[in-house]
Amino acid sequence: MLETTLCGIMLKNPVIAASGTFGFGAEYSQFFDVGRLGGICSKGLTLHPREGNPGLRVWETPAGMMNSVGLQNPGIPVFLERELPRMRTLGTAIIANVGGDDLEDYVEAVQLLSSAEGVDIIELNISCPNVRKGGMAFGIKCDAAASVVAAVRPVCAKPLMVKLSPNAEDITAMAVACERAGADAVSLVNSFKALAIDIHTRKPIFDNVTAGLSGPCIKPIALRMVWEVARAIHIPVVGIGGIATWQDALEFIMAGATAVQVGSATFVKPTVMLEIVSGLERYCADEHLSSLTTVCNTFRRKI
Amino acid sequence: MKNLSPVYVEGVTVLSQERLTEDVYRLTVATTTGGNPGQFYMVRAWEREPLLARPLSVHSVDENTVSFLYQVRGRGTELLARLRQGGTVALTGPLGHGFRTEELRGRIAIVTGGIGIAPMFCLARTLPPGDVTVIAGFKSHPYAVAQFTDLGMDVRITTEDGCDGTRGLCTEDLDPHLYETVMTCGPMPMMARVAHLCAEAGVPCQASLEAHMACGVGACLVCSCTTIEGNKRVCADGPVFDAAEVIWHA
Repeated sequence: MLETTLCGIMLKNPVIAASGTFGFGAEYSQFFDVGRLGGICSKGLTLHPREGNPGLRVWETPAGMMNSVGLQNPGIPVFLERELPRMRTLGTAIIANVGGDDLEDYVEAVQLLSSAEGVDIIELNISCPNVRKGGMAFGIKCDAAASVVAAVRPVCAKPLMVKLSPNAEDITAMAVACERAGADAVSLVNSFKALAIDIHTRKPIFDNVTAGLSGPCIKPIALRMVWEVARAIHIPVVGIGGIATWQDALEFIMAGATAVQVGSATFVKPTVMLEIVSGLERYCADEHLSSLTTVCNTFRRKI
Repeated sequence: MKNLSPVYVEGVTVLSQERLTEDVYRLTVATTTGGNPGQFYMVRAWEREPLLARPLSVHSVDENTVSFLYQVRGRGTELLARLRQGGTVALTGPLGHGFRTEELRGRIAIVTGGIGIAPMFCLARTLPPGDVTVIAGFKSHPYAVAQFTDLGMDVRITTEDGCDGTRGLCTEDLDPHLYETVMTCGPMPMMARVAHLCAEAGVPCQASLEAHMACGVGACLVCSCTTIEGNKRVCADGPVFDAAEVIWHA
């Protein structure tokens, strides 16, 4: 009922662990069979190892949280040697999330991942709000995004999904630009650039001043963006943003998402994605749907 | 020490909630999930807000219960403090790497600052009482110290306001030369001082770090600390670290 095809890759269901919230899958394997998920997006990878940002990295907000991890990761060579072989044993689709400082970085990184056996989809991260160079720098303006997608497209033999930033000047135009530049899918949204101030010191909570806001508080905005983007492009859209229940997931799917990613909700409850999967199964059974894909993009205006 | 695999459990019954001082509580819940000294649980006693669970170290454990000693610091711990007998919590744990006690020998000092005393009772119960000195520092009124005396341990109290024990800081009462090993938990500046004194004396020191956490299981990397081997995850690589490995003033 829940089988979903994303860029030619068969997923058991449309529920995917979002990048940066699930490591490389090993940690949560202690709590449940992560092979029951539709897929896992790796922690954001870069060509070279990164130590990430100094200082406090997490701050709670009403119905959400801010993070400033800053793409801490072991680098792609270590990922390929140490993490990917383990990930491949998990029994689910593997989506390698990749970021970079500049075009050359992105190209070399994608090249390495593209030739790796066991990576099903490459998710191009042009939307990390927590690094100075690269990251979101490519995710604000359409032509910058198009240039990086066009640059990696020729070296990417795998399906290429571009992860968009809600901080883009115009997210619909951004998605169109990525589609034209050769993206096979887009995923949205990454976290919102946000600010918290310590009123006692009159300084920002985070060393990097701003940080990425995620969680239930962003869901309505993310949903609106997914809906707008899905209407404007012909490639699949993967919905992300504060999804914590099967009903949330269904909203994104009705708004046009082929699949969804779940992030911070896993912190709240390690097994939440399994509940989302079983909730969607129950929904299909109750509604007598042969496939959940039949409700995709079925959201219509009232008048 | 058993290697315990962590679990996520909901509806765990509260057996008791004791208020020890104005803002320090001991919560005991019915669970067989156990925990080793220095390990912790992500604890949640609410539906929606705040978003994240709170990391609390195992204060005491037996076959059928786990106790947490905690101080009210914000919204999450405020809600925990409202729990009464018969209430329920959701737990993820036991998590992290605790104190390494396999190779301990000779005299041991347990040095704590404030609520840093929380994980130490669990540890103390595994140690030979005659070998242990507890140096517990508090801002003001001490709490949770009698249980160490009951174990037959040498307990010294320091208070910053002098209301009990010796006036001053617990670090002033520590001469690491007298011990084979020092175990510490408390505010970062205090542990940094303990680590420094131990390093100077060439005495091994294990420190249990505190950090804001999101996942608690090693996946999200928000609780990292700086070590000589690069960033490590307080939740999964720690919370107990070799103090010599931690870069205290990063």
